[in-house]
Amino acid sequence: MADVLLETGLVLAVLALAGTVARRLGQSVIPFYVVSGMLMSPFVLGRVGVPAVAGYAIELQPYITLLAELGIVFLLFFLGLEFSLERLLESSEKIGKAGTLDLLVNLPAGVVVGLALGWSPLEAFVLGGIVYISSSAVITKSLIDLGWIANDESNPILGTLVYEDLFIAFYLAVLSAVLLGGGELAEIAVDVGTAMVFLLALVSSVHFGSRYFQRFLDVDSEEMFVLRAVAITVLVAGIALAIGVSEAVAAFFVGMAFSGTDHLHDLERRLIPLRDVFAAVFFFWIGIRTDPAVFPAVAGIVAVLVLVTAPTKLFTGFVGGRIYGLEDRRNVRVGLGMVTRGEFSLIIAAIAADAVVGGTVLTETIPAVAVGYVLVMSILGTMLMQYSSVFERFVVDEKPVSG
Amino acid sequence: MTVYESDLPGVGKKFEIDLDDESTLVVVIHNTGKREVFKRDGDEDSVKLFEITDQLARQVGTILEGAYFQPIATDTTETMLDDDSLLEWVKVPDGSETVGRTLRELDFRHATGASVVAIQRDDDTESNPGPDTVLEADDTLIVLGTRPACHRAESLVSGDGETDGDGDGTHADGNGGSDGNDGNDGNDGNADDKDGA
Repeated sequence: MADVLLETGLVLAVLALAGTVARRLGQSVIPFYVVSGMLMSPFVLGRVGVPAVAGYAIELQPYITLLAELGIVFLLFFLGLEFSLERLLESSEKIGKAGTLDLLVNLPAGVVVGLALGWSPLEAFVLGGIVYISSSAVITKSLIDLGWIANDESNPILGTLVYEDLFIAFYLAVLSAVLLGGGELAEIAVDVGTAMVFLLALVSSVHFGSRYFQRFLDVDSEEMFVLRAVAITVLVAGIALAIGVSEAVAAFFVGMAFSGTDHLHDLERRLIPLRDVFAAVFFFWIGIRTDPAVFPAVAGIVAVLVLVTAPTKLFTGFVGGRIYGLEDRRNVRVGLGMVTRGEFSLIIAAIAADAVVGGTVLTETIPAVAVGYVLVMSILGTMLMQYSSVFERFVVDEKPVSG
Repeated sequence: MTVYESDLPGVGKKFEIDLDDESTLVVVIHNTGKREVFKRDGDEDSVKLFEITDQLARQVGTILEGAYFQPIATDTTETMLDDDSLLEWVKVPDGSETVGRTLRELDFRHATGASVVAIQRDDDTESNPGPDTVLEADDTLIVLGTRPACHRAESLVSGDGETDGDGDGTHADGNGGSDGNDGNDGNDGNADDKDGA
């Protein structure tokens, strides 16, 4: 027990340090959390020649996996909680167009690269998901930091993110049924069917049961409030996983159910600290599962993906901005803003790593590619946003001179 | 006035208020309670004006709303009646040379050009005081006249020949008496520059 506590403390201390460095550099914390995990892994620290130091390498133990799993659950819970049906409905036409364009260009871009590498359609489909989903967390943070949140470009960016979030919920549901269920086609069909029935039940309880969700959290005690919210989230996610349905998606719908209640703001205020701690461990966990030694082998794939999918996002973001009727200078920002990939790409990669079907492409190559890809894209995306003025100059001449 | 409200998933809410001069005030309310206030001119980027906490925002909000408004009481209160004449409240300090003397003895109207229209003493107000009214310490005289006349009245009552240092921003006429004080003159010069700019 003493060992586990000490090790947990070490993990958290390293994360705190990594986060501090990231903030100093004005960068997103995600790549720094992942790299800190990599550095502390048996692959790096464990190979240091000095045994006294190497002894502190963090092995992949069940307790870390548990904390990381809670990180996934809370990330998706918050995605559901903050899923804005209101925003989706108030501008459904624009979001529909911009989001569908985003989906129809970026997901196939990954699939095409996967197929070109000689991968199976399933593997290519996983890669498509990884490159499709932009990082809500990092992009929203940058929008606030740069003050874009008050400008018109925030509308297409946030709108497209809402579309992606909804899509990714169903994507994860299908993907985990296929990858984790395994077996013959008939068996896969049953798994996907089970997932759909379970999720349908969840969605209808979200739709019809908001009164009960409301009453469930109507307690005076802050302690009971937090405990009940965490209990129902983790329990539903656990039941989902036990019957072979994505726990992440289950958590998404539980979050969505609570978003319709008056407790939305209390939940955000009280559970965000929990989410942040567990999510940090999730990124660390991704890091310690990744052997940097495999990077040279996948560097070519990562480079191709970056060269293909950064421009595709730029393009779909730019056109998405035009759908919103913005001037081109802002459309460039929308494109730059959507480039960042992050937490959800890693969640897809984590599911692939645990796949029971397929071969080493799914369980080894894709997770390594995803980590390398996210490290590049999260830093690249944040920097593109910070230095957007360089890119805006390309289109600024087309704009009539004002002020 | 049009106010646009929109949801910011994971952040909070955004309110955009069209101002009269083609610009827009943007208020972002974070889920944490923090408020960020931006101003946007036409198609330009929004410029962040300030950010404040939830509690402070509520206080500032009620002030803007007018709930807290009270005229600020200063030593010298004045009310402009028209471009030239004003009413000014002048306190008679302890130890003023005017204490114990009547308005006639002081030849108040001729000496200053201002008339005493009322005297506030304790909780009473004596309106239209006669020439034989005796001034007492802590009286407040309400004088009517042009700005220079009111200043002369202040000088007479305070007895120091100048009115600098009362902080009411009307130094222009009283400056003659404060030549000996270089620092003060420097300050006054700056203030005048600002007014002129």
